[in-house]
Amino acid sequence: MSTGTHRPDDNALAGEYVLGVLPMSERRKVEERMARDSGFAALVASWQTDLAHLDEAYQPQTPPQGVKARVDARLFAEAAKPAGGLWGSLVFWRGLAFASLAAAAAFGIYSGNLVQQPAPGSAPALIAELGAPGSSVGLIAALDPAEGAFTITPAAFSPDDGKSLELWLVPGEGAPVSLGLVPSDGGRLVLDQPLVQQISDGALLAVSVEPLGGSPTGVATGPVVLSGSLSKN
Amino acid sequence: MSQDELSGLIARTALGDRVAFSSLYSQTSAKLFGVALRILKDRAQAEDALQEVYVRIWRRAGSFRVGQASAMAWLVTIARNQAIDLIRARQPATLEYDEAPEVADAAPDPEARAVLSGESRRIDTCLSELDADRATAVVAAYVEGLSYQELAEQHAVPLNTMRTWLRRSLIKLRECMSR
Repeated sequence: MSTGTHRPDDNALAGEYVLGVLPMSERRKVEERMARDSGFAALVASWQTDLAHLDEAYQPQTPPQGVKARVDARLFAEAAKPAGGLWGSLVFWRGLAFASLAAAAAFGIYSGNLVQQPAPGSAPALIAELGAPGSSVGLIAALDPAEGAFTITPAAFSPDDGKSLELWLVPGEGAPVSLGLVPSDGGRLVLDQPLVQQISDGALLAVSVEPLGGSPTGVATGPVVLSGSLSKN
Repeated sequence: MSQDELSGLIARTALGDRVAFSSLYSQTSAKLFGVALRILKDRAQAEDALQEVYVRIWRRAGSFRVGQASAMAWLVTIARNQAIDLIRARQPATLEYDEAPEVADAAPDPEARAVLSGESRRIDTCLSELDADRATAVVAAYVEGLSYQELAEQHAVPLNTMRTWLRRSLIKLRECMSR
């Protein structure tokens, strides 16, 4: 560590960066400099250590449920591998999707007011009503492609304790791709942008029951309980 | 949970241990959500920020070095950076102030002395040596994530004046802590 050549201005700049007062372009410049100037990076680290005593001012606040599940979904759902059995069967999926639409019609459980009315001009572009044949379970997933997020409205289904519901995109070919865990009380499910681009009108979605926190393997391990396809609102 | 135990969880997270990562989340997410809320002042945004923070923690756990920073300070730094980046992204990317005003004469580099002396005094002792309003500005900037623009408005001074104040205060702080 060589800090002996740094001028007071560098000290002040490192301090400004750690305080956080700089505008975005200067924050980025400081970070670029930290990457190539280890002495300057040491100044920043030194300020971080000193100012960390002020962290006591941050009172812990319990975060909403579901955040960890979304973190896990983003980090660990990418390794989806081709699945065998029912998961690999396109016929099964198409059949289930068709059956779910029929069930939706028969039970009349999907009404527009289950979806929170979005502000005018920002209507979700695609909506899927997910159901299962012969039972009144279901949820509604509304995708806002601009935001890259689903808004999930649970209708009448929740997993047993110790289980999570995982939402999957079922492509025409290949293995289902995890989109993340269904928030237990509904809410937003934010997707990575590359995933959003894989989703289009008519795409088939499915929900499986998984161990708490989601499939440990990246492929669905539990029974499929809901499915449905996305269509324009 | 002790800093040592937290350090252990971060180290195991760096090895891809999801159980350790889950423990780390349950032990630290309330503190980091508190950080995001305090800076962003909006629950939905703080929730999005918290999600991003733990994605970063997973990806950067390997860069944590025991002894360089306390485990919690390292985690809070990631949370603060994420929250501050989010609010700065909504503000002008540059500010119309003069190029970094000179803050001091060419005194011997205080940082070098800090390294030699081997220990720093606590920041709050040194803050108390500043004028009260300047100490307040430093603390508010750090804790609330205020921008220069916001600080200048709060203290009803021009932007350049605010920046000169703050940079001088920082140099004084550094000098004090390395005494």
